[in-house]
Amino acid sequence: MPRFVTVAKADSIQPGQMIKVEIDNLPVAVANVGGTFHAFDDTCTHEDCSLAEGELAKTVVTCPAHFAEFDIRNGAVLAPPATVPIKVYPVRIQGNDVQVEF
Amino acid sequence: MPTIAIVGASLTGSSAAATLREEGFDGRVLLIGAEPQPPYDRPPLSKNYLRGGMPFEKTLLRPADFYRERDIELRLGATVVTVDPEKRALGLQDGERIEFDQLLIATGGRNRRFPIPGLDLPGVYDLRTVADADRIRDAIARGGRAVVVGMGFIGAEVAASMRQSGLEVVAVEPFKTPLYRALGEDIGRVVEGLHRDHGVEMILDDAVTAFEGAGKVERVVTRQGRRIECSLAVFGLGIEPVTELVAGTAVRVDNGIVVDDQCRTNVPSIFAAGDVANHFHPVCGRQMRVEHWQNGVKQGAAAARSMLGRGQAYDEVHWFWSDQFDANIQYAGFHAAWDQMVVRGSLAERKFLAFYLAEGRLESVVAINQGRDVRRALPIIKSRVTVDPARLEDPSVDLRTLAPVTA
Repeated sequence: MPRFVTVAKADSIQPGQMIKVEIDNLPVAVANVGGTFHAFDDTCTHEDCSLAEGELAKTVVTCPAHFAEFDIRNGAVLAPPATVPIKVYPVRIQGNDVQVEF
Repeated sequence: MPTIAIVGASLTGSSAAATLREEGFDGRVLLIGAEPQPPYDRPPLSKNYLRGGMPFEKTLLRPADFYRERDIELRLGATVVTVDPEKRALGLQDGERIEFDQLLIATGGRNRRFPIPGLDLPGVYDLRTVADADRIRDAIARGGRAVVVGMGFIGAEVAASMRQSGLEVVAVEPFKTPLYRALGEDIGRVVEGLHRDHGVEMILDDAVTAFEGAGKVERVVTRQGRRIECSLAVFGLGIEPVTELVAGTAVRVDNGIVVDDQCRTNVPSIFAAGDVANHFHPVCGRQMRVEHWQNGVKQGAAAARSMLGRGQAYDEVHWFWSDQFDANIQYAGFHAAWDQMVVRGSLAERKFLAFYLAEGRLESVVAINQGRDVRRALPIIKSRVTVDPARLEDPSVDLRTLAPVTA
C-alpha cells in the first residue's frame, strides 16, 4: 500500500537544491524547484549514479557521470545516454515536513 | 521524393536520421551501416559489456521498431565503397548503386594497426565493434594474464575492466604516463596511481616491439628488452578516419573529411559528421577532429538540420567521459596551449577539477568524480570570458556565477 513517508524538513532543502534520502532502502532524490518539491529515483537509469549529485536547472536534472537529462516532473528522458525514464513520486508538504508517497 | 543517404549506422548516423524525422523531413531516409547490428552504443564495449554486466540489447541506441515507425530504411551489413558526387550515387561493395539527393558521411574510424611483428597472432585483440568485444570477453573468461598495449582511453578502460574481471593485467605505454597525450603529465600521474592501486602493473616509457608465441600469443617483447608472458593481449593505438569512399573525388580529405561549422564539405549536397569530420569549431577558432560520444550525438543532429537548410554554427563545447574503476574522468573544452593550470579539490584523493587557462580564459577542464562542476564549467568555456583563477580554485565559489548570464 502506498503511504506518505516523511523524508526531510521543507526548509532544509533550498530552492534549486537536491538531497538524497532512502525509503525502504531505495535511494530517492528530493528537489526543491522554486518552492515546489519533486521526488524521483536517485539512481540514473543509464548506469548506477546518484542524480542528486548532479545538476538541477529548473525541472531538469543532469546525471553527473554521463550528462543524461531527465524531466523531474514526469521522469521523461530529455538527453541520452539514458533511454529509460526515471520513476517519479508524488510529494506533499505537511507543516514543515516533506512527504513522499511510496 | 528527395533521398537523404547516411553512410554509417552508428551513434552519429542514427542521431542524424532521427533528427531528420523530428525536423519534419518526409523524403526518403536511408541509414547504411557496415556492421550487421542495428545502431548500438560503443562506450559499454570497453566497460560494462566487456565485463559481462550488460546484455547487448541494452546497448541499442533506439528500440528496434524505432526505425520502422519513422520510415527510416536501415541497410545493415552494407559497405559503401564509392561516392560519385556528380551523379550523386553511392556504390556498395556488392555492386549495388544507390542514388541520393544529399549525403551524410558518418563512417567514423577504424583502429590503427602498426606493423608490429605478431600483431595478427591469435590472442591479440583490438576493440571497436561488439564482435571485437565478444572475442575479448571469451578470452577474459579463459583467465590468465593480459597485456594491454597503449594506455590511451580504450587501453585504460580495457585494462580496468579486465582487472575487475579478475585477470592479471600488465599495461605497456610508450609515454611517461597513461593518457599522456590527451591529459598531460599531471593528470596522467593520477590515472597511473588509480591503475596501480587497483593492481595493474604499469610499464611506462617502453613500447611493444613484437608479439610472440607458437600458434597463439604467449608473450610480448618490448623495446627495452622485457619479455612479458601473457595469455592474451589487447592493443589500443588510436583510430584513423574512414574516408576511402571519397578517395579520388573532389571531396576534401585532410585528417578526416573537411567540413565547415555546419558540417558541409566543399562539395554541395555532401556533409560529414562525427569521428570522421574534421570540422571548423567557432569557439576554438580552428579545424579539429574529435572522437567523442557527445560529438557523435550532437554533430549528427546538427548535420541533419544543416541538410534541411536550418543549419546553425555547431559550437558545442566538446566533452567526454571515461570510467575506469571508481573514477569518472571527464574532459571538456580543448587546450592546445595553456599558460596556467589551477586545481579545485585534491589530485591525491582523485576528486578534483583541473582548469587549463590561456591568457586568462578557460580553455578546458579535466576532472575526476566532479561531473556536476564540469557541467557548470561548460558555459564559462563557451563564453570566452576572462576568469579569476583564484575563484576557479576556491571550492566555495559556485561555478555558475563565473559565466555571463545569458537570456
